[in-house]
Formats: sequence, C-alpha cells, structure tokens
Amino acid sequence: MSIPASTTPSSSQQVPNPWQAHAVSIRSIQQEIDGVSTYDLAFDNAAADGTYRFSPGQFNMLYLPGAGEIAISVSDDPARSASSCRHTVRTAGNVTRTLGKLQPGDTLGLRGPFGTAWPMADCIGRDVIIVAGGIGLAPLRPAIYTLLRERRCYGRLNLLLGARSPGTLLYRSEFAQWEERGLVVQTTVDQSTPDWTGNVGVVTLLLERLRSFDPTNSVLLCCGPEVMMKFTAVTAQHRGIPPERIWISMERNMQCAVGLCGHCQWGPEFVCKDGPVFRYDRIARWIDVERL
Amino acid sequence: MPNENAAVSKRLPDSDGNPQQSHFVATEAFASIFEVLQGKGYTVIGPTIDQHAIVYDQVRSLQDLPQGWTDRQGAGEYRLERRDDNALFGYVVGPHSWKHFLFPPAMTVATADKTASGWTFQTPEDDPPKYAFLGVRACELAAMRVQDRVFMAGPYVDPAYHQRRSGALIIAVNCSQAAPTCFCTSMGTGPQCTSGFDLALTELTDGFVIAAATRDGEEILSELKSRPATVEELRQAAAVTQRAAEQVERRLDTTNIRDVLFANLDHPRWDDVAQRCLSCANCTMVCPTCFCSSVQEVSDLSGQHVERQRQWDSCFNFDFSYMNGGVIRDTTRSRYRQWLTHKLASWIDQFGSSGCVGCGRCIAWCPVGIDLTEEVAAIREPTS
Amino acid sequence: MVSVAETRYLLEQLQFSANFPDQVLHRLAQTAKMVEMHAGTVIFREGSLNETLYLIHTGRIALEMNVPGRGAVRILTLGPGEMLAWSALVGEGRMTATAIAIAESQLIALPAPHMRELCEADHEFGYHVMREMAAALARRLVATRLQLLDLFADSAPGTNHAQ
Repeated sequence: MSIPASTTPSSSQQVPNPWQAHAVSIRSIQQEIDGVSTYDLAFDNAAADGTYRFSPGQFNMLYLPGAGEIAISVSDDPARSASSCRHTVRTAGNVTRTLGKLQPGDTLGLRGPFGTAWPMADCIGRDVIIVAGGIGLAPLRPAIYTLLRERRCYGRLNLLLGARSPGTLLYRSEFAQWEERGLVVQTTVDQSTPDWTGNVGVVTLLLERLRSFDPTNSVLLCCGPEVMMKFTAVTAQHRGIPPERIWISMERNMQCAVGLCGHCQWGPEFVCKDGPVFRYDRIARWIDVERL
Repeated sequence: MPNENAAVSKRLPDSDGNPQQSHFVATEAFASIFEVLQGKGYTVIGPTIDQHAIVYDQVRSLQDLPQGWTDRQGAGEYRLERRDDNALFGYVVGPHSWKHFLFPPAMTVATADKTASGWTFQTPEDDPPKYAFLGVRACELAAMRVQDRVFMAGPYVDPAYHQRRSGALIIAVNCSQAAPTCFCTSMGTGPQCTSGFDLALTELTDGFVIAAATRDGEEILSELKSRPATVEELRQAAAVTQRAAEQVERRLDTTNIRDVLFANLDHPRWDDVAQRCLSCANCTMVCPTCFCSSVQEVSDLSGQHVERQRQWDSCFNFDFSYMNGGVIRDTTRSRYRQWLTHKLASWIDQFGSSGCVGCGRCIAWCPVGIDLTEEVAAIREPTS
Repeated sequence: MVSVAETRYLLEQLQFSANFPDQVLHRLAQTAKMVEMHAGTVIFREGSLNETLYLIHTGRIALEMNVPGRGAVRILTLGPGEMLAWSALVGEGRMTATAIAIAESQLIALPAPHMRELCEADHEFGYHVMREMAAALARRLVATRLQLLDLFADSAPGTNHAQ
C-alpha cells in the first residue's frame, strides 16, 4: 500500500527471519584457561549442516533457552569444517554460566554469522601485525589460521599478545605450531609470576619494540579491552602505520545482532552490523568519548 | 516525492504523488467508511478516548472517535477539553503512535521446545490483522517513513514490522490546528500530508475533502457517497492546513545539527538537563520513531517451552548498555545525550534522515517538561 | 673494541637516538661504550648508586622491585631500543629498581656524569638528549598507567568478547 518502493523488499524474495536459531549440539568442550573454554558446536539441522560459512572476525549469537542469548565471536578456522564451529567463551554472566553447565551432546541455539570481518584481502602482500589482549585473541584466531594457511600471500607475520598473567595466555599450546608455520609470537603479561621468564608490561610496549615490519606496508589487526585497543592504535600510528590500515574489533551489548534492537549503538555505529570489526580512522573520533 | 508514495504497482496511472481529483464526502456519508473497510477485511484503528487521552485503538463507528473533543498540550502537559463544534479530528497527537500496531510493544519472536533429542527452535507464524489506520497525521506519515528505513531497509528486515506495514491501509488527515508542542514545520514533515497514504482527508464543518493516492484508496472512496469537491471546498481545505501551519510556533533549528551536536558531546547543558531528567523513558515510549527493544525469556513452569518475547526497551533504562558486568551509559547525562544525539544526529548517519518528526510528544509527555527544542537551542549557545 | 663509527651506526638504529642530529649522534657515540651482559647478570640493584645510563641494543632486561613478603616482583621487561637506568641521568643516581639481564644482552653504556657535563656545556646536545629522555619516560608512564588499570580483570566493562 503505502510503503516506499525503495525500502520494500521485493515480494518474490524470501525474507529470512533473523530470529530463527539453528539447533547445535556440543561436540566437545576444551578448557583453555581458567574460566575460558572452547565449545565445538555441531549443526543438528541437516539443512544448516555443511552450509555454514563465516569470515574471520564475525560472531554468532548462542542461545540458551530460558537464560538468554550472547554474542560470541567464532574462534575457528573458516576452512576447517562447515558442519561444526568452535567458539571460545569466558564464563562471566548468567548465559555463559548456563552454558558452562552443559555437557557434550547437549543442545543449544545458534544464530549467525553476523557482523563485519577482518580485512583479509587487504593483508595480501603486506606485513601483518596482530595485537591481542586477553580473550581478544579468540576473534583473531580465524584470521591467524587464514594467514598461516595462505602463508605465501603475506609478508612478515607478528602476533603480539598481552594477558593479565602467564596463566591467562590463551591458546598457548598452539604457539609453537604457529611459529613453525611463520608467525612470530611475542607475549607479555601485566603481572609476572616467579616462574615466568617472558616479557612483563603492556602489549603496546611490544609494538614499540617491534622491528620486523614495514610500517608503510603493514596491516594491524587488534582486539582486546577498549583502552588497550586505543593505545595500540596510538602506538601503531606513532610507529608509522596509517590509521586506515589499523583495524579493531569492538564490543557492545549485542542483542538482536541485526541492527534492529538498538542496544549496541556506539555513536552512529551499530556494533553488531557495522562492526564488530572497524577501520580505525572511521571510528577514531568515538573512541575517546566517555560513556558513549 | 514519487518514491515515497505507494508501491509502484499500486499507484494510480496518472498519479505522481499528486492527489487525485478531490471529492467531498458529507459527515453522515463518511460514517459508512467503517463498514466499507470492515467489508474489505480491515481492522480499523483510529483515535478514541481512553483514560482522559486520545489514543489509537480499534474503532468500529464514528461514535468511537473523539467527536467534539480537543487536546490542550504544553511541556509536561496534556488535557482533553470540549470543543465548541463537532469536529471528528479537532486535536493533534496523543501518547500513542502507529508504531503500537506496526511494531507491537510485546510479541513473541521465537520459541524453543525441549524434545527427546534436545532443543528445537521455531519462529511462530505471525498472523496480524490487516490494519486500516484512520486519522494518520503528516508527522506520523513521516514517522512511518523513518521506521520503514529502520526495519525494512536492510540488510536485515524485521518480519513483524514488514508484515504489518505491507498490509496496512493509510487514511491520513490534515491537521486543522497545531499544539504549542508541535514543530513539524521545522522538521519539514507537516502539517500537510503530501505522500505515504492511500487516502487523505481534510475536515470541513460539514464533511471532508478526500483525495485518493492509490488504487486501494480510490476503491474505498468510490464506495462512499461523494461528489467532486467544489472550488470553494478546496479553498476551505487549503485554509484549514494553512491555519494549522500558522499556529505552529515552536522551532527547532536543524541547520548543521548533526555536526553541532557531535561537536558538543561535552557541553555543560548535558549536565544541566541531567539534573532535570528522571530517566523515566516516557519520551522514548511516546516517540513515534524510537525502535529499541529487548528480548525476555519466558519459560513455562516445566522449562520445556520457552518463548522469546520482544518488548519495547529504552536507552534511558539503566541496564540498556550493560556489558560484561558493567553499564556503559551509567549516568542520566550519558543516557539523555545518547537519546538526543541519536534522534537528531547519528540517525542521519544510520538512516539518512533525522529521527525526529516534530510531533512534540516527548515534550508533552515528559513529566518534568523537558523540551528538546530548548535543549538543542542551549547547546547551540557558545559555552562561556 | 667497537669503533665510534660502529657505535654511531648502532645508535642510529635505536628508537631513543634515531632522530638525533649528526652532531649529537657523534658526541654520543664518542661517549658510548658497548657492554655485554650474560643472562642472569644483575646490572644494578634497587637502592644502589649507578652512574651509567644504558640503551639496549639486543637482549632483554627485567626490572624488579622488592616487596617485603612477596620478594622481588618483576614489574617490567625492556627490550631493544629502550633506555635503562634513567635515574642515573635525571635523578640522584639511586636506582628505583633492580635490573637483571634475562637474556644475552648487548647494551650501549653512557657514563651519566659525562653526559650531564655535555648537556650543561652544550644545551643543543642537552635538549635532544633530554627530549628523548622525557619521551621515553612518558611512554613508560602511559604503559604503567595501562598496567595499573588492570584491563584484563574479570568483569571489567570493555573486556572484549567475555560475556
């Protein structure tokens, strides 16, 4: 009737219902560090099984009936399998606590993938610096798998990882394999322990010291606490990396995941659909605004 | 203008958004519109009085309309008063807007059921009534256009809104008066209804000048007892809208408003308004474009069946911006700033237009009478 | 023995001295001496007097502070390009932390009294040295503040992907 033609989806095109969840079952649970586990979720529905695709940096909504939904970034290799998909989750609230009580074989709901991805195409032919803080490494792991699978497409690869303490370094058991395949891994902790012989101090210091990259031909991918990302971007620019090749992954209260519920707004951005991965120069003006 | 009119296939062949030849329908003849609409399967929603306010609800006859009533509005003020005539549409807008019907305040968007093999997930069949909205004002047509972009312009489409909106018939009415809270002329949204309707009415003393803009509108008009409007009736109709336009006194200066607000996120006025704002969320509930919602988990007693119930939410609610054990906008200052800058500034980035249509509801229904036009004016003042 | 030219070249590669004008670099190179520290070597101790400012060429140095009941707490590790023992130049020479080489390290040693004399005698030289010193301390201050914020603490708002 009176709907502007420009905003109306054509009637022939089936409009997918963004609220429809896929049933997934837990294939395995692997504890990573204290309070953080990786859930491999297999698609139960034959229609979804084998067709699920995501890009590095995207997230899914995991749904625990009765408890609610949470946005969890996919931490898997996008090329690994289309029938299951790993998610690294930190137990923090009601929904993740409910998830923590589940066992392999139990079912839950999944909607996704949602959001923007890391600029993998933009990394081709360039040095890539990955800066991660804490569990912020989880959404970067798909990017790491991609870089290593297509190793020859990229220049020098560096991972700078900061964590609170040695015991909270995520995916530590994979580092040797990553190094072997051509990713230089450097770690640092805020709080040292007597048995720790590695770096102490914030991750931006590792970026200050980094020598093996060409700032004019590098891409930097960063995920971690907002303040850490902000100072990483400042340091990266100080080191000569242009802001349009610095990318960060933001987090806000993602609920509907499709830009309809309003919760994840950050300035003019809907973090769920305009992000979570943002090009730094496009959002730099918002990152300093308190309580935005 | 044309692209804001009816879907192409339904537009009248010679209509480019210009009203078709206008007809005159006497008030007694207009009464039959309810039967006509009901006969076509419509549920008619229109203005009616409930709890001392003019709200939108199902109306079945002319008697359900607030005939002879008007509203007196101001900042934090809304009162019904008797008119000295029998006008059917002699008031402006009340606490309701059409979003109540296009974007229901509460609805189930998904369900989960526990079976022997685990949880299964469905989205329930949604079978809303076919609505005919009677008495839609120009600012409300603008609000629908705004929400159309929010819910249907993608990349994701809200199925509930889409379904209700596509089926709805819009019968607009040109305002014959303005309230002190109105500022549609500043927002370029009224008081004249120019597009986005099937039928548009202008109320005269003894009937209506009616123009159809779509085939559906034309068809309905043809079933009413009417005759072509006279030149004098057309003149009177124009005068009605003109009078309403002249009564609009409130102004919102929209010049460069996006940049002005974004450049003033630290303006002391935010602290000032935060002293007055109760963070009650009334403004967002009455706003015809506010679209935020949350989903609640509603389980049956056995826990085997869960409904995901979507409800209106508001950026003024404390935990709206909850994240990881903390709340981002944990002060009234930051929440009011979010609401105002979203409505008037970031909305432009997000949806290509202002989120404000100048209806003035947020001014009238604010318990402490906060007036966004005043707040914007104060923010425009250079800080000392 | 490392030549002045070589030392100068090494200085040019370090963040601290990369932007010094020729004249300043040359003077610095003349003053500097390369030293090697084996892993485990204590370079100076907290509270002791030390009259050498170091620039790290290779290796890794840990800074530790003594906390009764907790022992030596490692607060920071330094790497190539960074400055060590700032109190030798801008303080009284009393060290605020213990420095230990935790890897084979090559350091450029600069005698602090002589550096001070040079700074006094040639304010142009002094300006460049002190400006870099301030910049290095500012970076370390910001890093310390970030450490102080304990950003990875549980349930801190802004901790990414930790619902």
